[in-house]
Amino acid sequence: MKSTRIGLILLVLAFLVASVALMGCPPQDETGDEAMMPPEDTPMDEEPAEGGTSTIEIIGSTTVLPIATAWAEAYHEAHQDVDVNVSGGGSGNGIKALIDQTADIAISSREIKDSERELAQQNDVNPIEHMVAYDGIAPIVHPDNPVGSLTIEQLSDIYSGEVTKWSEVGVAGMANDDIVVVSRDSASGTFESWKEMVIQMGGEAPDRDYAPAALKKNSNKDVRQTVADTASAIGYIGLGYIDDSVKTVAVVPMSGGDAIKPTHDNVQDQSYPIARGLYMYTDGEPTGTVADFLDWGMGEDGQALVEQEGFVRVE
Amino acid sequence: MLRKRFARVQEWIIERFIQMAGIMGIVLVILIFYFLLRNSLPMFEERTVGQLLAGTRWSPTHGDGKFGMLPLILGSLYVTVGALVLSVPLGLATAVFIAELAPPRMREILKPAVEMLAAIPSVVFGFIGMTVVGPWFADHFNAIQVGQFAALGSLMLCFMALPTIVSICEDAFHNVPREIFNSSLALGATRWQTITRALIPAARSGIIAAVLLGLGRAIGETMTVLMVTGNAQVMPEGLKGFIKPIRTMTATIAAEMGETPHGTTHFHALFTIGLLLFIITFGVNTIADIVIRRSEKDIA
Repeated sequence: MKSTRIGLILLVLAFLVASVALMGCPPQDETGDEAMMPPEDTPMDEEPAEGGTSTIEIIGSTTVLPIATAWAEAYHEAHQDVDVNVSGGGSGNGIKALIDQTADIAISSREIKDSERELAQQNDVNPIEHMVAYDGIAPIVHPDNPVGSLTIEQLSDIYSGEVTKWSEVGVAGMANDDIVVVSRDSASGTFESWKEMVIQMGGEAPDRDYAPAALKKNSNKDVRQTVADTASAIGYIGLGYIDDSVKTVAVVPMSGGDAIKPTHDNVQDQSYPIARGLYMYTDGEPTGTVADFLDWGMGEDGQALVEQEGFVRVE
Repeated sequence: MLRKRFARVQEWIIERFIQMAGIMGIVLVILIFYFLLRNSLPMFEERTVGQLLAGTRWSPTHGDGKFGMLPLILGSLYVTVGALVLSVPLGLATAVFIAELAPPRMREILKPAVEMLAAIPSVVFGFIGMTVVGPWFADHFNAIQVGQFAALGSLMLCFMALPTIVSICEDAFHNVPREIFNSSLALGATRWQTITRALIPAARSGIIAAVLLGLGRAIGETMTVLMVTGNAQVMPEGLKGFIKPIRTMTATIAAEMGETPHGTTHFHALFTIGLLLFIITFGVNTIADIVIRRSEKDIA
């Protein structure tokens, strides 16, 4: 029936036009970067309306997550009208959320990359760095593993796949000699820090990369759990995640000397070699609630919480 | 007069609505394909198809970025083939039992029970696999070092593909004309002989379709494999690859998409994986559809 067909075509067309208009996708050429979704017009951080609640969205590193969560809870206690939402996903996730303007604060266990900065500029986002704590990354093994210490070079060999057996690093008596290498995945800042400081030995071996056989887990907790369950595994986690289910390995720095245990005090006096700052990034200098939150966090209360979670405060 | 007119308009609207709903399905598939294509085409300016499909190293954050998808493709292949090896015999046997051998009361319990497997969320399978089943294997078998490996993914996927295979095989058996069954018995064959030599061969196309649809389900599964396979993008080595960690295409997208800014090469590479998955699943489903249609024609 003619009217049926016309009616149908019109309805389908109307639907398509409506959906395209809603998507707001401008016609693109294929070369170079394309932002699929143009940034929304409303900025995320809002001034608290008189009497209303405002929200701070914090996304990113699972290493910094305990700090952000502790701050969020304590801050909310003190300021009932501010909701602070915290979620993980990895440093890369957090920075991307900041660039996409879906987060007010990106928490990260690594510095922002140049490529990320460029993308941010393209989106009119200006990431400002705030160092909120110091952290160490500790190599961990199963509690039954007899290993006491390893050098950075040995760790690099293990993680890049050059060395695959425990006997090659002087550990005897393992039921299974093959080393099971456990790592974070590429969304993680800890992944990047470990790659730079350990696998690439601080720049001495810039071509080294993670061995393909390394298991990629998506959080500190996952890594710890896997190592705790696997007798011949080695992994790495942030200081704040060390507990009795795993055993830490002391590290001999590149410069030689004694093996240093990954403890809070050793990170504080800078003797532990695998240490880095933990960061929060904001879009531009923070204002309003976000500024208040960060100031609070860098103050006595916030830094006390940093210490409580097992990290090292910034002076 | 007016009431009749009104009723006709109402009917017209409802018909158009339903028609549109039907067409929307096709439109959506086309749009998804277009979306995937558009976001993966820029990848081919950076790497050749050969480098992508045959490259053996997936390391997107190393230097310029290595985007060899072969370890991921093989990872998906291992997990899927393993899942089929486990679920096809099991599913076929269950279907035969439910359709032909089970007493009616048991059938009434079994059928919904199998279908309930389909209702369990994939993340639950992943969780059980990761916390209970995987460590059990690692504790009891020396060759299995970590409780996260390819065959574990296959095992959990077997339970997820099972309801699909069972119900489609069962339908296939029902579609076989009863005459074939009865004439076989009349010729003196035992029940078992009838099932294995008359019923199953007659339902052959339906069974193939069931296998293909189970395959489509298994290859697209993301959450479970993300949790239980260990996510190590290695090139699996022969049969030993089954008891070692691997990474599937789906898990790669799920793990890495969150942190990849729009418009980067990594972003396009992940879309290319998505495109490949789409093509594979689409192809498998189309073949299954053709097979099903042919089997219905054969029987008619």
